[in-house]
Parts: sequence; C-alpha cells; structure tokens
Amino acid sequence: MEKSLIKTSAPRLAKVRHFLPNSTIVAPVAVLLVVLVLFSLFVPKFFSFRSFSGIINAATLTGALAIGIGFLMVSGEFDLSVGSNLAISGYIYGTLTAAGQPFLGLLLALAVPALLGAVNGIILVWTAIPSFIVTLGTKYFYRGMLWVITTGSMLQTVDTLSIDKIFTGRLDILNNLISEANFRNSVLWLILLAFVFQLILGKTKFGNHVFAVGSNPGAALGQGVRVAHVKIISFAISGFMAGVAGILLFSQFHTVRVSSGDGMDLYAIAAAVVGGTLITGGAGNIWGALVGALIISTLRTGVVLLDIPFIPADNFEAIVGVTIVAAAILNMYISKRK
Amino acid sequence: MSETPTAQNRNSLVWMENITKKFGTICALNDVSFGVDKGEVRALLGDNGAGKSTLIKVLMGIHQPTIGQIYFEGLPVHIRSPKEAREIGIEAVYQDLALVNLMSISRNFFLGREVVKSIGPLKFLDLKNMETICRSSLHDIGIEIRSASERVGSLSGGERQSIAIGRGVYFGAKVLILDEPTSALSVAETRKVLSYIENARERQLATIFITHNVHHVYMVADSYTIIRQGHHVGTYRKGELSEEDIADLITGDRES
Repeated sequence: MEKSLIKTSAPRLAKVRHFLPNSTIVAPVAVLLVVLVLFSLFVPKFFSFRSFSGIINAATLTGALAIGIGFLMVSGEFDLSVGSNLAISGYIYGTLTAAGQPFLGLLLALAVPALLGAVNGIILVWTAIPSFIVTLGTKYFYRGMLWVITTGSMLQTVDTLSIDKIFTGRLDILNNLISEANFRNSVLWLILLAFVFQLILGKTKFGNHVFAVGSNPGAALGQGVRVAHVKIISFAISGFMAGVAGILLFSQFHTVRVSSGDGMDLYAIAAAVVGGTLITGGAGNIWGALVGALIISTLRTGVVLLDIPFIPADNFEAIVGVTIVAAAILNMYISKRK
Repeated sequence: MSETPTAQNRNSLVWMENITKKFGTICALNDVSFGVDKGEVRALLGDNGAGKSTLIKVLMGIHQPTIGQIYFEGLPVHIRSPKEAREIGIEAVYQDLALVNLMSISRNFFLGREVVKSIGPLKFLDLKNMETICRSSLHDIGIEIRSASERVGSLSGGERQSIAIGRGVYFGAKVLILDEPTSALSVAETRKVLSYIENARERQLATIFITHNVHHVYMVADSYTIIRQGHHVGTYRKGELSEEDIADLITGDRES
C-alpha cells in the first residue's frame, strides 16, 4: 500500500524538486507563507508593500550572517563570533571609506573577518575543542581587541558616499514600480551571495565535501576528503559573510559601535535552523537560511504591529525562542518522514 | 600452524610480516603475520580487543608498525595514510564509517572522486552523469538500486554494505577490507552481502573479512586467521577445522 503511494508520487515530486535548489527549502517557505497570511488576516495595516519591504530591510544583517552561518552549520560547526566580526568589519569599512580609501576599506572589511573566521577553524582543527567553546571564546576576544583598538569610541560619519549607495542605496527601479515600497540595494546583494554560496554548496566538489564532513566526518576522511581543510574554509566563509554584514551596516547607518552586532550571531543561527539547516550538520540550504531570517523579521514586525499589551516589541526574543524550537521539531519530523 | 615468512607468502597480494605494534608499554600486536591473495576470502577472527582492528589499521596506514614489514604485490611498501592505502588499491568498508547517511547514493559513491564538468573556468558536479555511472556500475556487479538520488540513510544495512562494496569494486580496489559486514544484518540481507563477496572473489579481488563471530564467515571464507590478545593463534584452510574448533580457538578454550 505504502509502496505504491511512493511510486506514483515520486515522478511528480522529482519534477517539483527540479525547480528548487533543494527539497529542504520547501518547509521554511511554507512556514513563511503561513506566517505572512496569518499576520495579513489579523494585523491591521500589515498587508502592504511598505511593511513587506520593511521586513526585508530589517532582515538584511541577520540574512547576511545567516548565509555564512548556514554554510558553516552544514559542515557541522557553529560560529558565535560573527557578531564581533560584523563590528570589526564596520569599523574597518567606515574608517577607510572616511579616509578616502573605499576599495581598500572594502577589501580589508571582507578579508579581516574571513581571516578571523579561519582562525576559529584552525583553533578547532588543532585542539579538537568544540566550535561552541572556541567561538564563544573568540567572540569575546575579538570584540575585546576591537575595544582596545578603538578605545571603545563609536565611529560615525556624515557623508553618504557613492560606494555606500551601491550597497544599501534605495532600489528605485523597484520602488517606482510599486507604490509605498522601500526596497534597498542590499536585497540584490544578498540574493547574489545566497545564489553563489548555494551553488558552491550544492553543485561543486567542495560543497559535496562540506555535506560529507557535516554528516559523517569519519566516512569523509575514509574517502580522502580533507576534513580539516573543509572546516577551516567553511569558517572563513562564515567570517566573510560577517564582513559583508558589517559593510551593509555601516553603508546604511554610517554608525558603528563596539557593541554593534552583539547577539546577532544567535539570530543568525536561529535563522539557519528555522530555514531547515540541521543543527548537527550535514543538511541545509542557503536559501532556507535567508528565508529563516525573513521569518524571524516577519514575526518581529507582526508582533510590533499587533501592539499586544504586556508584550512590548522589545520582548520579541520570546517569539524567536518559540520559533527556533518549533522549527527544530518540524525539521526533525520532516527528516524522519524521509 | 603459524604462518612463516616464505617466498611464497611474500609473493601473495598482501603480506604483513611479523608485525608488532606497541602503544607505549601496551603491546597490541606481537609478531603477527597475515596476508591475503587474489581471489581469496580471508577471515580475520578474534574476540573483542584481540588486535583485529589494530592489524587492519596498520594495513590502512592509520598506524605504523613498531616492528615488521608489509609487502604488496611482492614488493615492500610503507603505507603512511588511508589515502596511500587506497591509492595502491586497498579499500576498507567500515560499518558506520563507510557512507554518509544524509547524502544520496551517487554523491556517496563518488565522494572524494567526484565527476565534474567545466563551465568556463568553473567546475561543477556532473550530477546526472554521476547518477548514471553509479546506477550502471552497481548493476554490473549485481546490485540493484531504486534511484541513485535516494538518501543512503533510507537504505537498509545490507544495501549500505553492498553499495560500499560496489564502490570499492568500481574504483579498482584489489583488496577489500570488510569490518563486521554482516553482524547487524538479517538472514536474508546477510545472504545478499555474502553473494557480493563471492562476486568480488570471482573478479579476483582479495577480501579480508573481519569478525568475532565465526558463524558469520565460516561458509564464505577460503581461509581463517585467528588472533588472540595480540598473538597469532593460527591460520587454517577451509575444511581443516570445524566451526566449533575455530570458535574455541578464538576464545582460548583450546590451544592450537
């Protein structure tokens, strides 16, 4: 009975899968749609392009971090230091663009966090200490060093440079078409980066090794996969995306503090998990991580607009917490059914 | 009955001569000689902790012998890593470490040896080709799969073993090392896996079948090597000893 069911539905499923980057993305997209429909029905003023574009803009930084974290989590590791790397990147980009060196600023704001990410990986590989502990340590160490270098002072600039507009300027082509919409260029950058990293993950030899290392490092090693090498590069990618997030932060707000991005590492991990990435590694999807960031942002906006008494908007962490656990349960349920 | 280093032994496909392996003061292997030849299924028998895995890890290049020499195809070799072992044609199939459960059959089949196609300067996995080759090469050695894109985790233990064996055969392994390949399998699945081992023998592969349970290997093996507490107890041809005799030698209830 069960077998015949599987047979008839298999070709149709295969066809659907053909158009999707990976079947693991179906669940988070469904969750996002359900959340959007529910809020649209019950929250006044929610259903508008104004709030939709607001949700997307608010998800930008978490989304950028989630792309890197999602990639790293597929390899079976965490990175709690991305929030600190975000602030480091913001200072580098801000300082050098203000000094008239935008391209050097861009380069170093990406390279330094990528390098610090790789350092996390190297410590992990050398010491075999779990990534949770390694990056908990570097999270504080990196931010502490940033405090020492900047003496704790905030960096703020007044001018909006043309390079800033390339990253986070208003996306007027789209905004002119849709009234009330307020999209920014950062959306395009995130889509591009998600596409590139999903391509690497799903369609290259290296990506194949990342999945193998995350699911069964012993088997990967047995087949000649350079496990340490794969982990260090995955950590570097996570750091690189923290660098991207730092650039997006500064180019939009022209302000960075030593405390910028603090706590965002956990939102990014939450986004990846909500987006279908297995917390134990070996499964996940970059688009899913991006959708996860959107789900969290939608919940935040919805809760703010709901204006529930006793639950102030600042308290939306409670909603994030519930979402993470619910997503983890959903993921487990789906992977068991497969 | 202990195997002695003769010219004939050294000319067999794999010959590990007088291997001693010490970890600090603990002697895991003491002067053990072991080998396997083309088209032979050699059982490596011993109780838990007897030194079976240590001996195999020496062959796989995971450990270096403290004393002793390995010969491969008649020539002395130094195997320094599993990668080197694989390059000369020694393929190990471990029970839990053979395949990646969350990945598809074809991605597992080609793990570390992926087929890529170039698009400009970039190289991408040729997933379609990988699935086709995986399916047909498994079919050639008598293993039928429903779909090469199916996740390995949804397969039975026997199916997983057979895919790992099939992979070794396809990539030109000369020696297959099977670690407890049938211990967790049903009777029907065990029979299937044994038939793949027989298929490998017909293809002139050498097979090392590691187990602590003589019952699993008695029918399929051509010869048996028994080790106990790091010592070589004896090597016997098929028919020289009964199943019970071998079981007694493994546990030490009887001396050789």
